Amino acid sequence: MAVKLDRTAPPPAGELRPFRFPAFVKRPIPGGPTVYASRVAGIPLVSLELSSRAGAHHDPVERPGLATFTASLIDEGTRHRGSLEIAAWMERLGGYLVSAADWDTGYVAAAMLTQNVDSGLELLAEIALTPTFPEKEIERIRRQRLAELMRRGYDPGAQADDRLSEVIYGGTPYASPLLGRVESLSVVDRDALVAFYERHYSLAGSTVIAVGDLDPDDIVHRIEEALVARPGQEPAPAASPIHPVPLDGVSIHIVDRPGAAQTELRLGHAGVPRTHPEWVPLNVLNMVLGGKFTSRINLNLRERHSYTYGANSRFSGRLGPGPFVVDTAVATESAGAATREVLGELQRIREEPVEPYELEETLSYMIGVYPYTLQTMGDVAKRLEILSVYGLPDDHYDTYLDRLAAVTREDLLKGARGHLHPDRIAIVAVGPADVLVPQLEGIGEVTVRRREPELAAV
Amino acid sequence: MTLTTSEPISHLGLQLPFERATLSNGLRVVLHPDRSLPLVTVNLWYHVGSKNERPGRTGFAHLFEHMLFQGSEHVPANEHFRYLQQVGGVANGSTWYDRTNYYETLPAHHLDLGLWLESDRMGFFLPALTQESLDTQRNVVMNERRQRVDNQPYGRANERMHELLYPGDHPYHWPVIGYMDDIAAATLEEVRQFFQTYYAPNNAVLTLAGDLDPDAAFKRVEAWFGDIPAGPPVPPVSAPLSPLGGERREVLEDDVSLPRIYLGFRGPAYGQRGWYAADLLSGVFSGGKSSVLYRDLVYERQIAQDVSAWMSPYEAVATFMIVATAKPGIAIETLEQAILDHVERAASAPPAAADFERSRNRMLTELYSGLQKLDNRADLFSQFTTYFDDPAGVAAEADRYLEIAPRELSDYASRWMTEAERVVVTVVPRKAS
Repeated sequence: MAVKLDRTAPPPAGELRPFRFPAFVKRPIPGGPTVYASRVAGIPLVSLELSSRAGAHHDPVERPGLATFTASLIDEGTRHRGSLEIAAWMERLGGYLVSAADWDTGYVAAAMLTQNVDSGLELLAEIALTPTFPEKEIERIRRQRLAELMRRGYDPGAQADDRLSEVIYGGTPYASPLLGRVESLSVVDRDALVAFYERHYSLAGSTVIAVGDLDPDDIVHRIEEALVARPGQEPAPAASPIHPVPLDGVSIHIVDRPGAAQTELRLGHAGVPRTHPEWVPLNVLNMVLGGKFTSRINLNLRERHSYTYGANSRFSGRLGPGPFVVDTAVATESAGAATREVLGELQRIREEPVEPYELEETLSYMIGVYPYTLQTMGDVAKRLEILSVYGLPDDHYDTYLDRLAAVTREDLLKGARGHLHPDRIAIVAVGPADVLVPQLEGIGEVTVRRREPELAAV
Repeated sequence: MTLTTSEPISHLGLQLPFERATLSNGLRVVLHPDRSLPLVTVNLWYHVGSKNERPGRTGFAHLFEHMLFQGSEHVPANEHFRYLQQVGGVANGSTWYDRTNYYETLPAHHLDLGLWLESDRMGFFLPALTQESLDTQRNVVMNERRQRVDNQPYGRANERMHELLYPGDHPYHWPVIGYMDDIAAATLEEVRQFFQTYYAPNNAVLTLAGDLDPDAAFKRVEAWFGDIPAGPPVPPVSAPLSPLGGERREVLEDDVSLPRIYLGFRGPAYGQRGWYAADLLSGVFSGGKSSVLYRDLVYERQIAQDVSAWMSPYEAVATFMIVATAKPGIAIETLEQAILDHVERAASAPPAAADFERSRNRMLTELYSGLQKLDNRADLFSQFTTYFDDPAGVAAEADRYLEIAPRELSDYASRWMTEAERVVVTVVPRKAS
């Protein structure tokens, strides 16, 4: 029997149910890794990850891609097992194994059924501690990566990202894609890979993250037995600072794609490191500006002007000052107008405090959505990795919601004035230059480039 | 090292309790309690997709999905997302050949908000409909098409594959997002008719999952949805299909650097035994370095940059696809022949025990991994109820894979993956002008 309801306004909420970040143990092993372990029940799977200070941050400027190249070789052969044997063993059990690097870390990660965790850990240790870097696999992966770069040069979204990084971060490791560049991938040899591994994959100073259907104390004990550091191994060096040269005005960088159906558009400049004291308020600021569907930039570009299917912005958390980027793809004839609207939004949020309702709605979104972002083993593991990589305190997540709730409109205004720079920004447009130049030349100095020139060399 | 013997992964003790009921207006309701996090998902499937469109009017179901976020009688335009986001909700919708879904995951104490929003657009959508919002969303969707299809490397290949695989009047012939001219031509009157034909409670399934008490939650559903009138019976879709009776091929030029090949075959509908055999075969072919096609084409011979195979879960007839990108300097014909050799081998003998086992275990771990997220789980309950009227199918899905014997994979390949029934689309770099 249906009861008559008031449909004219949102119904009242029920009673709030509490949520806490999952409990975890943190155990530093002397001379070895620090272990973070957390039990996430429900599904009989375990994920294990060994993470080292071996990200692309550590690439020598003249050797972009060295870190990710090294990482991709770690699961390609050990003293006891060849590349296919390693893969077949893990895959046969329905598990997966990956060895890769991002900006901050190099990692070997595996997920497996709980019943196979002992042998999974043993394999992980063998791979991480005794990789042999076979010449045959190095050459295969080199060809694979060069072809990937070639393909990337034809992907308009990737072209836009890469051009922006190049403009913002010239002369630093952040200027190149994680994958590297043709000239460096072509010359890196086995010695360089082994040297990078030896220097950056020390167990001392590394981190192991174990999450899933496990007993935290028990897994710490097993990890301690499986991952034994070589005596006297030095910890990997900490990341040296990255200082991009600040931009000195508004510059437009067009990558010409004659006849393209749409234009990929990016606006950006260097942001702040993940450890910056204003990280939380800056993320709230970004959420008002471009971090969710109802943010200013998306409502403006999509719902008000229908220039695009979607537009968003973000600060990227890294050890160094990762980029602040506004990202969208627009109908080419709207590229100039869309650019002006974005610059206008960046200016407006620097001039006046956000409306009280905007802050209130944004904070209640970020607080309310928190449990949603912690549903899977991977979600929890990612958060533990953040604690370790950025050296955040153990109670970081317990205090997070309170720190969020304390953010004020004044904090956002200060953050916008200090860290958004619509007058010192790079604008990248990948699309037909003949249609784009007339629209954009009034906004800043325009340079036009054809496809990445280095790709012709592949 | 002691290698663990690989018992088939089965019956891992997963609990997927549910209750179901049907309202007097025909709305089918599934309730899945799981109190591990203070979240609740509201997941609503309408049994309408691009399959229900007709030639010349394609893309309509998807455009309509956008319109359903433009407000209803009691929810002003653009406020749907705002109401949800301001309490920490995450929401979206999607359109597919066979269905359209709408979903939001909320802090559990806001369950009523989700029910209010979904029931308002099911029962009170038309009063809010305006020409202005249709104009805006038409442009947004045209930009979506440019972003996902026209401006994507290889973006047209999938569309072309379906056009060749299914005849012009078959409902899987045209793309879900539709053709540009058709999107531009959509009218307000069509939006109205589409709503009245398909968006009624008797053509929908509602799943609530998460931190809820099934009895109390069902009472809330009755309160919000119980007085929405049933609609007329939904017109059936007919999808007769005669065999292709001869290979079809096409070469597309695109702004790409590496050629790519797409091989497509029709197969039995999702839910049939043969579908699971095909899915297992796709896992024998690709997915992981030790899979048959990856191992041979990418790792050993290095003639492919990548390769993947999959079986699509369509309701009327499924599509088995194999896609591979050539390495620089490798002729696409060489790659095609290598793949066809594997297809022939798959038809002539069952897969090796290790390959079969790897595929099966991967399917199962993926299934279990996917169940970690509440919104995925709710979506599966809606899916099994919409297609098969069987929410228990979610928990039984693992058994469907475990029932298949290796021999069924070769039987499948020899029956369905023949030369006369295949479509080959290759994408090659556009010649410099």
